[in-house]
Amino acid sequence: MCYFVQGPLVLIAGIIFILGLLYQGIQFFKLTKKKEWGVPPSSLEIKPQKQTKKQWVREALRTLNGTLWKTDPVLTIVTSVFHVCLIIAPLFLLGHNILLDQSWGLSLFSLPESVSNFLTLLVLICGLYFLGRRLFMARVRAISTVYDYLVLLIAVVPFLTGFLAYQQWLNYQTVILLHILSGELMLITIPFTKLGHMLFFFLYRFFIGSEYSFVRGSRTW
Amino acid sequence: MMHQEMKPVDTKQIKEMLNRKKGKMKRYLSYCAHCSLCAESCFLYMAHDQDPQYMPSYKVIHSLGKLYRKRGKVDRKSLMEMKGIVWRNCVLCGRCYCPIGIHIPSMITFARSILRSQDVYPQLDEASSESWL
Repeated sequence: MCYFVQGPLVLIAGIIFILGLLYQGIQFFKLTKKKEWGVPPSSLEIKPQKQTKKQWVREALRTLNGTLWKTDPVLTIVTSVFHVCLIIAPLFLLGHNILLDQSWGLSLFSLPESVSNFLTLLVLICGLYFLGRRLFMARVRAISTVYDYLVLLIAVVPFLTGFLAYQQWLNYQTVILLHILSGELMLITIPFTKLGHMLFFFLYRFFIGSEYSFVRGSRTW
Repeated sequence: MMHQEMKPVDTKQIKEMLNRKKGKMKRYLSYCAHCSLCAESCFLYMAHDQDPQYMPSYKVIHSLGKLYRKRGKVDRKSLMEMKGIVWRNCVLCGRCYCPIGIHIPSMITFARSILRSQDVYPQLDEASSESWL
Protein backbone atom coordinates (compact mmCIF):
# COMPACT_ATOMS: atom_id res chain seq x y z
CA MET A 1 0.00 0.00 0.00
CA CYS A 2 2.70 2.50 1.08
CA TYR A 3 4.84 1.56 -1.90
CA PHE A 4 1.91 2.00 -4.28
CA VAL A 5 0.98 5.45 -2.88
CA GLN A 6 4.58 6.69 -2.87
CA GLY A 7 5.53 5.21 -6.24
CA PRO A 8 3.21 4.26 -9.10
CA LEU A 9 0.24 6.32 -7.86
CA VAL A 10 2.30 9.53 -8.06
CA LEU A 11 2.97 8.81 -11.71
CA ILE A 12 -0.65 7.79 -12.39
CA ALA A 13 -1.92 10.98 -10.71
CA GLY A 14 0.53 13.11 -12.71
CA ILE A 15 -0.49 11.47 -15.99
CA ILE A 16 -4.23 11.86 -15.22
CA PHE A 17 -3.61 15.52 -14.29
CA ILE A 18 -1.76 16.33 -17.52
CA LEU A 19 -3.96 14.26 -19.85
CA GLY A 20 -7.11 15.53 -18.12
CA LEU A 21 -6.09 19.17 -18.58
CA LEU A 22 -5.10 18.46 -22.20
CA TYR A 23 -8.49 16.81 -22.86
CA GLN A 24 -10.38 19.73 -21.30
CA GLY A 25 -8.27 22.23 -23.24
CA ILE A 26 -8.84 20.44 -26.57
CA GLN A 27 -12.58 20.20 -25.86
CA PHE A 28 -12.64 23.93 -25.14
CA PHE A 29 -10.94 24.81 -28.44
CA LYS A 30 -13.26 22.44 -30.32
CA LEU A 31 -16.33 24.03 -28.74
CA THR A 32 -15.14 27.57 -29.41
CA LYS A 33 -14.20 27.20 -33.06
CA LYS A 34 -16.56 29.94 -34.16
CA LYS A 35 -15.02 33.38 -34.27
CA GLU A 36 -17.94 35.74 -34.30
CA TRP A 37 -16.80 38.29 -31.80
CA GLY A 38 -16.02 41.42 -33.76
CA VAL A 39 -12.67 42.82 -32.82
CA PRO A 40 -12.01 46.15 -34.57
CA PRO A 41 -8.88 46.16 -36.75
CA SER A 42 -5.93 47.67 -34.96
CA SER A 43 -5.75 50.48 -37.56
CA LEU A 44 -9.12 51.78 -36.32
CA GLU A 45 -8.15 51.72 -32.70
CA ILE A 46 -7.50 54.94 -30.89
CA LYS A 47 -3.85 54.89 -29.97
CA PRO A 48 -3.32 55.83 -26.35
CA GLN A 49 -1.23 58.92 -25.85
CA LYS A 50 2.18 58.55 -24.29
CA GLN A 51 1.82 58.79 -20.55
CA THR A 52 4.19 60.00 -17.93
CA LYS A 53 4.91 57.59 -15.05
CA LYS A 54 2.67 59.64 -12.76
CA GLN A 55 -0.21 59.50 -15.25
CA TRP A 56 0.29 55.76 -15.67
CA VAL A 57 0.09 55.17 -11.90
CA ARG A 58 -3.02 57.35 -11.66
CA GLU A 59 -4.64 55.47 -14.55
CA ALA A 60 -3.75 52.09 -13.02
CA LEU A 61 -5.27 53.10 -9.67
CA ARG A 62 -8.39 54.37 -11.45
CA THR A 63 -8.74 51.03 -13.26
CA LEU A 64 -8.22 49.17 -10.00
CA ASN A 65 -11.15 51.06 -8.52
CA GLY A 66 -13.45 49.46 -11.10
CA THR A 67 -12.45 45.95 -10.03
CA LEU A 68 -13.21 43.66 -7.09
CA TRP A 69 -10.56 45.59 -5.20
CA LYS A 70 -13.17 48.30 -4.68
CA THR A 71 -16.05 46.01 -3.62
CA ASP A 72 -14.17 43.43 -1.54
CA PRO A 73 -10.52 44.39 -0.91
CA VAL A 74 -9.97 41.77 1.82
CA LEU A 75 -11.14 38.89 -0.34
CA THR A 76 -9.16 40.24 -3.31
CA ILE A 77 -5.97 40.10 -1.25
CA VAL A 78 -6.79 36.74 0.37
CA THR A 79 -7.70 35.02 -2.90
CA SER A 80 -4.63 36.42 -4.70
CA VAL A 81 -2.28 35.33 -1.90
CA PHE A 82 -3.99 31.91 -1.69
CA HIS A 83 -3.69 31.16 -5.40
CA VAL A 84 -0.12 32.43 -5.77
CA CYS A 85 1.10 30.52 -2.71
CA LEU A 86 -0.84 27.41 -3.80
CA ILE A 87 1.28 27.25 -6.96
CA ILE A 88 4.62 28.53 -5.65
CA ALA A 89 4.85 26.57 -2.36
CA PRO A 90 4.76 23.01 -3.78
CA LEU A 91 6.69 23.81 -6.98
CA PHE A 92 9.67 25.38 -5.25
CA LEU A 93 9.72 23.26 -2.11
CA LEU A 94 13.15 21.85 -1.32
CA GLY A 95 11.80 18.41 -0.33
CA HIS A 96 9.83 18.03 -3.58
CA ASN A 97 12.81 19.11 -5.66
CA ILE A 98 15.15 16.66 -3.93
CA LEU A 99 12.68 13.85 -4.68
CA LEU A 100 12.41 15.00 -8.30
CA ASP A 101 16.22 15.11 -8.57
CA GLN A 102 16.57 11.64 -7.09
CA SER A 103 14.02 10.04 -9.41
CA TRP A 104 14.38 11.97 -12.69
CA GLY A 105 17.61 13.87 -12.25
CA LEU A 106 15.96 17.26 -12.75
CA SER A 107 14.73 19.86 -10.32
CA LEU A 108 13.49 23.42 -10.07
CA PHE A 109 14.88 26.26 -8.04
CA SER A 110 14.16 25.74 -4.33
CA LEU A 111 13.07 28.34 -1.82
CA PRO A 112 14.55 28.31 1.68
CA GLU A 113 12.56 25.98 3.92
CA SER A 114 11.44 28.78 6.23
CA VAL A 115 9.96 30.67 3.24
CA SER A 116 8.12 27.55 1.99
CA ASN A 117 6.84 26.99 5.50
CA PHE A 118 5.54 30.56 5.65
CA LEU A 119 3.84 30.23 2.23
CA THR A 120 2.16 26.99 3.37
CA LEU A 121 0.95 28.74 6.49
CA LEU A 122 -0.48 31.52 4.31
CA VAL A 123 -2.40 28.94 2.22
CA LEU A 124 -3.85 27.47 5.43
CA ILE A 125 -4.86 30.87 6.82
CA CYS A 126 -6.51 31.82 3.50
CA GLY A 127 -8.25 28.42 3.39
CA LEU A 128 -9.59 29.08 6.88
CA TYR A 129 -10.87 32.46 5.72
CA PHE A 130 -12.68 30.80 2.79
CA LEU A 131 -14.22 28.25 5.17
CA GLY A 132 -15.36 30.99 7.55
CA ARG A 133 -16.85 32.93 4.65
CA ARG A 134 -18.73 29.86 3.46
CA LEU A 135 -20.03 29.10 6.93
CA PHE A 136 -20.94 32.53 8.19
CA MET A 137 -21.70 34.81 5.22
CA ALA A 138 -25.36 34.52 4.24
CA ARG A 139 -24.75 35.12 0.54
CA VAL A 140 -22.04 32.46 0.28
CA ARG A 141 -23.98 30.02 2.44
CA ALA A 142 -27.00 30.45 0.16
CA ILE A 143 -25.14 28.84 -2.74
CA SER A 144 -22.89 26.43 -0.83
CA THR A 145 -23.28 22.68 -1.04
CA VAL A 146 -21.38 19.76 0.52
CA TYR A 147 -19.42 19.60 -2.74
CA ASP A 148 -18.04 23.12 -2.16
CA TYR A 149 -16.71 22.15 1.26
CA LEU A 150 -15.24 18.98 -0.21
CA VAL A 151 -13.42 20.92 -2.95
CA LEU A 152 -11.97 23.30 -0.35
CA LEU A 153 -10.87 20.29 1.70
CA ILE A 154 -9.19 18.68 -1.33
CA ALA A 155 -7.29 21.92 -1.99
CA VAL A 156 -6.18 22.54 1.59
CA VAL A 157 -5.45 19.07 3.04
CA PRO A 158 -2.16 18.58 1.10
CA PHE A 159 -0.89 21.83 2.65
CA LEU A 160 -2.13 20.99 6.13
CA THR A 161 -0.50 17.53 6.08
CA GLY A 162 2.65 19.00 4.50
CA PHE A 163 2.87 21.57 7.27
CA LEU A 164 2.30 18.92 9.95
CA ALA A 165 4.93 16.67 8.37
CA TYR A 166 7.51 19.49 8.24
CA GLN A 167 6.89 20.34 11.90
CA GLN A 168 7.03 16.59 12.69
CA TRP A 169 3.86 16.90 14.74
CA LEU A 170 1.72 13.74 15.12
CA ASN A 171 2.91 10.45 13.63
CA TYR A 172 5.27 11.40 10.79
CA GLN A 173 4.79 8.21 8.73
CA THR A 174 0.98 8.51 8.78
CA VAL A 175 1.02 12.24 8.09
CA ILE A 176 3.44 11.97 5.15
CA LEU A 177 1.38 9.13 3.66
CA LEU A 178 -1.76 11.26 3.99
CA HIS A 179 0.16 14.17 2.44
CA ILE A 180 1.14 12.15 -0.62
CA LEU A 181 -2.33 10.65 -0.95
CA SER A 182 -4.11 14.02 -0.66
CA GLY A 183 -1.69 15.59 -3.16
CA GLU A 184 -2.43 12.81 -5.63
CA LEU A 185 -6.16 13.20 -5.05
CA MET A 186 -5.86 16.93 -5.74
CA LEU A 187 -3.97 16.33 -9.00
CA ILE A 188 -6.51 13.73 -10.18
CA THR A 189 -9.54 15.89 -9.35
CA ILE A 190 -8.29 19.20 -10.84
CA PRO A 191 -9.33 18.53 -14.46
CA PHE A 192 -12.72 17.06 -13.59
CA THR A 193 -14.07 19.21 -10.76
CA LYS A 194 -14.54 22.89 -9.86
CA LEU A 195 -10.78 22.99 -9.35
CA GLY A 196 -10.62 23.00 -13.15
CA HIS A 197 -11.01 26.79 -12.94
CA MET A 198 -7.23 26.63 -12.69
CA LEU A 199 -7.24 26.09 -16.47
CA PHE A 200 -10.56 27.66 -17.40
CA PHE A 201 -9.81 31.00 -15.76
CA PHE A 202 -7.09 31.55 -18.38
CA LEU A 203 -9.09 30.10 -21.27
CA TYR A 204 -12.16 32.24 -20.50
CA ARG A 205 -10.34 35.46 -19.75
CA PHE A 206 -7.80 35.26 -22.60
CA PHE A 207 -9.49 33.46 -25.48
CA ILE A 208 -13.22 34.17 -25.29
CA GLY A 209 -14.26 37.46 -26.84
CA SER A 210 -15.90 39.44 -24.09
CA GLU A 211 -16.03 42.79 -22.39
CA TYR A 212 -13.98 41.26 -19.58
CA SER A 213 -11.27 39.65 -21.73
CA PHE A 214 -7.79 40.49 -20.54
CA VAL A 215 -6.56 40.53 -24.14
CA ARG A 216 -8.31 40.75 -27.52
CA GLY A 217 -9.92 37.30 -27.30
CA SER A 218 -12.07 36.50 -30.32
CA ARG A 219 -13.30 32.95 -29.81
CA THR A 220 -16.96 32.29 -29.16
CA TRP A 221 -18.99 29.23 -28.16
CA MET B 1 -51.66 32.14 -16.19
CA MET B 2 -54.21 29.32 -15.96
CA HIS B 3 -53.20 28.15 -19.41
CA GLN B 4 -49.56 28.01 -18.29
CA GLU B 5 -50.41 25.90 -15.28
CA MET B 6 -52.54 23.34 -17.16
CA LYS B 7 -50.20 22.35 -19.98
CA PRO B 8 -48.06 19.21 -19.40
CA VAL B 9 -44.29 19.72 -19.40
CA ASP B 10 -42.49 18.39 -22.48
CA THR B 11 -39.41 17.04 -20.69
CA LYS B 12 -38.10 15.53 -23.91
CA GLN B 13 -37.99 18.93 -25.56
CA ILE B 14 -36.29 20.46 -22.51
CA LYS B 15 -33.68 17.69 -22.58
CA GLU B 16 -33.04 18.27 -26.28
CA MET B 17 -32.56 21.98 -25.69
CA LEU B 18 -30.24 21.33 -22.75
CA ASN B 19 -28.14 18.92 -24.82
CA ARG B 20 -27.78 21.45 -27.63
CA LYS B 21 -25.71 23.80 -25.43
CA LYS B 22 -24.41 21.20 -23.01
CA GLY B 23 -20.71 21.76 -23.81
CA LYS B 24 -20.77 25.41 -22.90
CA MET B 25 -23.39 25.54 -20.16
CA LYS B 26 -22.25 22.47 -18.23
CA ARG B 27 -18.71 23.86 -18.19
CA TYR B 28 -19.92 27.24 -16.99
CA LEU B 29 -21.96 25.58 -14.25
CA SER B 30 -19.29 23.16 -13.14
CA TYR B 31 -16.48 25.73 -12.95
CA CYS B 32 -18.51 28.26 -10.96
CA ALA B 33 -16.57 28.35 -7.69
CA HIS B 34 -19.67 29.51 -5.73
CA CYS B 35 -17.57 32.42 -4.46
CA SER B 36 -20.44 34.96 -4.59
CA LEU B 37 -18.14 37.65 -5.99
CA CYS B 38 -20.69 38.34 -8.72
CA ALA B 39 -23.15 39.63 -6.09
CA GLU B 40 -22.24 43.31 -5.98
CA SER B 41 -22.24 43.62 -9.76
CA CYS B 42 -26.04 43.09 -9.77
CA PHE B 43 -27.98 46.27 -9.09
CA LEU B 44 -31.07 44.26 -8.10
CA TYR B 45 -29.03 42.52 -5.38
CA MET B 46 -27.89 45.89 -4.10
CA ALA B 47 -31.39 47.39 -4.36
CA HIS B 48 -32.99 44.50 -2.46
CA ASP B 49 -30.95 44.94 0.69
CA GLN B 50 -28.31 42.44 -0.52
CA ASP B 51 -30.81 39.57 -0.56
CA PRO B 52 -28.85 36.45 -1.72
CA GLN B 53 -31.78 35.47 -3.97
CA TYR B 54 -30.78 38.27 -6.31
CA MET B 55 -27.15 37.18 -6.69
CA PRO B 56 -26.39 36.30 -10.32
CA SER B 57 -24.89 32.95 -9.28
CA TYR B 58 -27.95 32.10 -7.16
CA LYS B 59 -30.25 32.84 -10.09
CA VAL B 60 -28.26 30.62 -12.44
CA ILE B 61 -27.84 27.74 -9.97
CA HIS B 62 -31.58 27.68 -9.20
CA SER B 63 -32.75 27.92 -12.79
CA LEU B 64 -30.43 26.50 -15.46
CA GLY B 65 -28.38 24.61 -12.87
CA LYS B 66 -31.53 22.89 -11.61
CA LEU B 67 -32.60 22.00 -15.17
CA TYR B 68 -29.23 20.33 -15.84
CA ARG B 69 -29.15 18.62 -12.44
CA LYS B 70 -32.58 17.10 -13.07
CA ARG B 71 -31.72 16.41 -16.74
CA GLY B 72 -34.81 18.34 -17.79
CA LYS B 73 -37.18 16.21 -15.74
CA VAL B 74 -38.93 19.03 -13.96
CA ASP B 75 -42.57 19.66 -13.16
CA ARG B 76 -44.59 22.76 -13.94
CA LYS B 77 -44.32 24.00 -10.36
CA SER B 78 -40.52 24.11 -10.67
CA LEU B 79 -40.78 25.92 -14.00
CA MET B 80 -43.12 28.49 -12.45
CA GLU B 81 -40.59 29.06 -9.65
CA MET B 82 -37.84 29.52 -12.22
CA LYS B 83 -40.01 32.03 -14.05
CA GLY B 84 -39.79 34.38 -11.08
CA ILE B 85 -36.03 33.87 -10.85
CA VAL B 86 -35.15 34.52 -14.50
CA TRP B 87 -37.69 37.24 -15.28
CA ARG B 88 -38.55 39.02 -12.03
CA ASN B 89 -35.17 38.73 -10.29
CA CYS B 90 -33.12 39.48 -13.42
CA VAL B 91 -33.57 42.17 -16.06
CA LEU B 92 -30.73 40.87 -18.26
CA CYS B 93 -28.87 44.16 -18.12
CA GLY B 94 -25.65 42.20 -18.71
CA ARG B 95 -23.66 43.94 -16.00
CA CYS B 96 -22.92 40.83 -13.92
CA TYR B 97 -19.23 40.16 -13.51
CA CYS B 98 -17.60 36.81 -12.80
CA PRO B 99 -13.90 36.75 -11.84
CA ILE B 100 -13.46 33.35 -13.51
CA GLY B 101 -14.99 34.68 -16.72
CA ILE B 102 -18.32 32.83 -16.75
CA HIS B 103 -20.82 34.64 -18.96
CA ILE B 104 -23.86 34.74 -16.68
CA PRO B 105 -26.31 36.61 -18.98
CA SER B 106 -26.05 33.87 -21.64
CA MET B 107 -27.10 31.32 -19.03
CA ILE B 108 -30.14 33.33 -17.91
CA THR B 109 -31.07 33.88 -21.58
CA PHE B 110 -30.88 30.16 -22.20
CA ALA B 111 -33.02 29.40 -19.13
CA ARG B 112 -35.60 31.89 -20.42
CA SER B 113 -35.64 30.17 -23.84
CA ILE B 114 -36.27 26.80 -22.22
CA LEU B 115 -39.09 28.18 -20.08
CA ARG B 116 -40.60 29.94 -23.09
CA SER B 117 -40.60 26.62 -25.00
CA GLN B 118 -42.93 25.34 -22.26
CA ASP B 119 -45.14 28.43 -22.45
CA VAL B 120 -43.77 29.76 -19.19
CA TYR B 121 -43.20 33.50 -19.39
CA PRO B 122 -44.57 36.60 -17.70
CA GLN B 123 -47.86 37.81 -19.11
CA LEU B 124 -49.02 41.37 -18.88
CA ASP B 125 -52.55 40.42 -17.83
CA GLU B 126 -51.26 38.07 -15.16
CA ALA B 127 -53.19 38.37 -11.91
CA SER B 128 -50.43 37.88 -9.40
CA SER B 129 -50.03 38.99 -5.85
CA GLU B 130 -46.27 39.12 -6.42
CA SER B 131 -44.77 42.39 -7.48
CA TRP B 132 -42.70 42.25 -10.66
CA LEU B 133 -40.86 45.37 -9.72
